[in-house]
Amino acid sequence: MNRFMEILENILMPIADKLNNNRYLTALRNGFMVALPLIIFGSIFVVIANLPFLDKVISEEAWAAYQSALGPASAATLSIMGLFVIIGIGYKMVEVNEGESIYGGVVALGSFLILTPQVLDGTSGVIPTSSLGAEGMFLGIFTAFISAELYHLFVRKNLTIKMPAGVPDAVARSFSALIPITLTLSLFLIVRIIFSYTPFDTVQNFIYTLIQEPLTALGSGLPATILAVLLIQLFWFFGLHGQIIVNSVFDPIWYALNDQNYQAFINGTELPNIVTKQFIDTFIVGIGGSGMTLAVVIGIFLIGRSRQLKELGKLGGPAGIFNVNEPIIFGLPIIMNPLVLIPWLVAPVVVALVTYFSMATGIVPKPAGIIVPWTTPAVLSGFLATGNHIMGAVLQIVNIVIVFVIWWPFLKIMDNQYYKNEQGSESK
Amino acid sequence: MKRILLACSAGMSTSLLVTKMKEAAEAKGIDVEIWAVAQDKAPKDMERADVLLIGPQMRFMKKKFGVTAAEVGIPLDVIDPMAYGRVDGEAVLNKAIELIDGK
Repeated sequence: MNRFMEILENILMPIADKLNNNRYLTALRNGFMVALPLIIFGSIFVVIANLPFLDKVISEEAWAAYQSALGPASAATLSIMGLFVIIGIGYKMVEVNEGESIYGGVVALGSFLILTPQVLDGTSGVIPTSSLGAEGMFLGIFTAFISAELYHLFVRKNLTIKMPAGVPDAVARSFSALIPITLTLSLFLIVRIIFSYTPFDTVQNFIYTLIQEPLTALGSGLPATILAVLLIQLFWFFGLHGQIIVNSVFDPIWYALNDQNYQAFINGTELPNIVTKQFIDTFIVGIGGSGMTLAVVIGIFLIGRSRQLKELGKLGGPAGIFNVNEPIIFGLPIIMNPLVLIPWLVAPVVVALVTYFSMATGIVPKPAGIIVPWTTPAVLSGFLATGNHIMGAVLQIVNIVIVFVIWWPFLKIMDNQYYKNEQGSESK
Repeated sequence: MKRILLACSAGMSTSLLVTKMKEAAEAKGIDVEIWAVAQDKAPKDMERADVLLIGPQMRFMKKKFGVTAAEVGIPLDVIDPMAYGRVDGEAVLNKAIELIDGK
């Protein structure tokens, strides 16, 4: 067993290192971090604009006025989240190269806008907001990577205008970016023109049809989702931060799926996707942290006899409510503990299946595309994520019960072992 | 004054440990400044720290952080998983001081 664990860890460590330290994935993760406050702002207002029961209390006109007054909050943030992610990626890409990072942000944004359709239903001078949100997400990410790289390349090649001494620093800096940005944007303009002669018409359409659609279709399926869940659990079993590693690959897909649901939610049409960012964050990870350890904490309080587990419950309980569970993972311990490997891997998969089918059958509404911060306590987060629906909270409680039942025999064995050891060492 | 920097994915779980370490330092009468940051902030904060301790779940960052740590000339290590799980402030504080004094 030890030998086997050693081999597995030797495989997983380099993967974790590569995925976490790859500069594109790092910029992607940090780019989403930049956009997150705006995404959450928009989400909060979707929640407020759709308060339950309010539509039954006030008149229809008042309800419509209320919704249209709050609408711009999310329309200007959540709906066009791609924009903020792109600025974030461009900024962070140039920042690691120690360049003028703000130019990285604007060159990425400019390049993306050049590639974006600027006509809608025959009206020119219009940028469809849908292409700044979910539909443009993948194009935006690629464009941000490439434009920031090109900008940096041109800066490094010293293709800048040198200012004579005595010119104020700020003035010199604004000129130093001129040539690199001009060259970068020109290249994207050429790409746009070339694509206008292809059947795809726009680059956006090309990326969407050839890359984004197949990838999101794959990512919204059950097999890919279970694989992602298992990988998160497996990394954590070796004490490596599973989410941060797996999310760096899956986040663009999950966010794009999420945004499709959000668009449908505010338009009042049927939500297309079950698997979304919130499917993972709220119903699987967000119940006490990775592996849904809130149920384990509850188990410790219910059946724990050993001092070790009782102490751990006191330490890990309060943090667990807010989905921080390192004390449980390292303290139980879960890492490298063969006894918990079975519930650790099985419980999240069972919960993923239950959540998926309860949404597929319509018992529980699908996630409404609202981004709920990951530190939001369970029950509340399920309510919010499903667009203020009580069944979202109920499903989370059901999930806690499922995890508890799967863990119970294993927790009992562990508790007995600790209890015996404690009794033994006291009688000596 | 010993300045101890802790880093993990979001700076959340290490901040639990920070509280316990401060308590331990106060009990021992050691003058310290202890704070926790998210991984991407760590390289910047290293400049004003005497030692960097990494949460065990982010131990794959040791190599990358090691480069910056060598540049600013501070020691670094991964926190012992058992001490991390027990949120054992005293053990981690001792380890940090050992690393600072050992350089």
